[in-house]
Amino acid sequence: MLGRSILRASNRAIARQSLGKSTRASSTAAGAEAASSPFYLTLTAALATAAAAGSTAWYYHLYGQEAFAMTPAEEGLHATQYPWVHERFNKTFDHAALRRGFQVYREVCASCHSLTRVPWRSMVGTMHTVDEMKAFAEEHEYDTEPNNEGNIEKRPGKLSDYIPAPYPNEEAARAANGGALPPDLSLITKGRHGGCNYIFSLLTGYPDEPPAGAAVAEGMNFNPYFPGTGIAMARVLFDGVVEYEDGTPATTSQMAKDVVEFLNWSAEPEMDERKKMGVKSVALLTGLFAISVWVKRYKWAPLKTRKIVYSPPIGPRR
Amino acid sequence: MAGFANAIYSTFIRKNTVLLTTAFAGAFAFELAFDITSNKVWDSWNQGRQWKDIKHRYMVKEEEDDE
Amino acid sequence: MTGPVIPIASESSGSNFNFRLHPPSILTSLSPQLAAQFPPWSIALTMSLSSASSTLLRTVARQQLPTSRAAVTSCQQRRGVADAKSSFESPFASANERGSTLKIPNFSKYKSNNSPRSNQVFSYFMAGSLGLATAVGAKATVQDFLVNMSASADVLAQAKVEISLGAIPEGKNVIIKWRGKPVFIRHRTQGEIDEAREAKWEGLRDPQPDEDRVQRPEWLVMLGVCTHLGCVPIGEAGDYGGWFCPCHGSHYDISGRIRRGPAPLNLEVPAYSFPEDETLVIG
Repeated sequence: MLGRSILRASNRAIARQSLGKSTRASSTAAGAEAASSPFYLTLTAALATAAAAGSTAWYYHLYGQEAFAMTPAEEGLHATQYPWVHERFNKTFDHAALRRGFQVYREVCASCHSLTRVPWRSMVGTMHTVDEMKAFAEEHEYDTEPNNEGNIEKRPGKLSDYIPAPYPNEEAARAANGGALPPDLSLITKGRHGGCNYIFSLLTGYPDEPPAGAAVAEGMNFNPYFPGTGIAMARVLFDGVVEYEDGTPATTSQMAKDVVEFLNWSAEPEMDERKKMGVKSVALLTGLFAISVWVKRYKWAPLKTRKIVYSPPIGPRR
Repeated sequence: MAGFANAIYSTFIRKNTVLLTTAFAGAFAFELAFDITSNKVWDSWNQGRQWKDIKHRYMVKEEEDDE
Repeated sequence: MTGPVIPIASESSGSNFNFRLHPPSILTSLSPQLAAQFPPWSIALTMSLSSASSTLLRTVARQQLPTSRAAVTSCQQRRGVADAKSSFESPFASANERGSTLKIPNFSKYKSNNSPRSNQVFSYFMAGSLGLATAVGAKATVQDFLVNMSASADVLAQAKVEISLGAIPEGKNVIIKWRGKPVFIRHRTQGEIDEAREAKWEGLRDPQPDEDRVQRPEWLVMLGVCTHLGCVPIGEAGDYGGWFCPCHGSHYDISGRIRRGPAPLNLEVPAYSFPEDETLVIG
């Protein structure tokens, strides 16, 4: 395109030069020459355009691209998209699954992972009865407020207490797990890219043995979904590791699914109410919008259908 | 039809205060009906998923323990 | 009903403006209900500038139209407006001429078949429904914001304190903390109960019988905050065998009633209940 226009411009310039002398006398010829640009102007414009486009491309090449610190292998395998029912806009959590998931957390995850933002009381009326939760809470000891002598005593847990962490502090947690800190699970589905899919893939994605050529460090385990593929946590969910009270077969994927739904609940305990409120709002606002469209037409109809006619003046008769 | 329209007009619309009062009273009635309906629809969408659908399993056991 | 010609003429200025009310030539996007609501009169402005010699009679002399005027009217004829059967016959001669913009088009096609009243009721119903739905939405919005201000779930969870009473022997005080304030729990002896009941309460500063201050006579539960300036009274002290506030010397009796000193009111009794025999729940 650019080349063609340059070519055309130069052709015209040559043609004009050859014809120039004979048509110079006419005033129209002078006007035509002013309208067409000389060759050097076209060349400058073309070079400037090329320089601008080239430097833009060069700087984009240098700084404009998204930077990846890790190779795709180091990034970890992308988690599969699973059809989570509770992620649909009109579905609540399956509270029976939450109950099972909490059981999995209690019996498996809780030995290393804390759930510090979840109080015992929040399970009451979502997956357990008051008495069941009181019993769970009382299994754990909590510090009292200082008594009259300033001593801190131990008391059994109450519903208003938060679920205790397995380790007193981060250093103890690291020391017990070979330097790796088991993350708090309260907000884990929000805090990990991929959410539910990632947690599920991670829990069920341990191969029986690492693939050939994979470098697995001492004390580490291979998991393709974990960034870097070396994860300190070993596979924990094996078929039948917990026994569900409602008779659901405790397969690895069933347990993983239940605990993922439970962790999603702990990250978003308000989800059921939120979705219900959203559905209600959308329904009401749709009706409101429809009526307001009608009212708009009602108010504008006389203005839009108005016509103003201008009758031109009648000139004086001669 | 025209008689019906006239009745509606003279009852609710003729006076602006009556129209306003009707709208606000209707808002309360509508909110009630809307909430009940939408809750029903929501519960039917989530049949068997919510705690109130499964709690009878565990509550019954409680009462047996108490007895 | 067609606009009468309103000539505003000024002989001295030499110009002549004719304003006339005029029906619209075309009615677009008008729903049937609305057609009855809005008689489609609208205003057209016909302005003629004429020379000083022109008079009011100019409008009457319209018959002799110049060609430019004919072009405009033919344009309107092409749209089929002037040709449509008019719904109104104007008494003015100029209005009846072919192509006159004074002709009212026929709107029967757009007209609602319902009675005007039912159209009116429908319009008001829609406006009222808009108000109704808006009120519901506004109420829900305001309510959600106000609910935000109420106590959060973790505060409410700690708002109740459960105490087992089996550990408190007769004639002993126990102070527990509830919502950051001390609460006195007194296991009263029979003698103290009799003393509290026999006292003449009608003449006290804050007259209240002991029966109103306790649910079970042996258990006295009170907020341990002096009603004067908020100190914590000392138990088993004072001239009346009850509590004594060391700050300004208020004496409370064994029912927690103010007997002497600056405090204006009896010690406050919080809401509490006995869900079981040996359990007390405050809050």
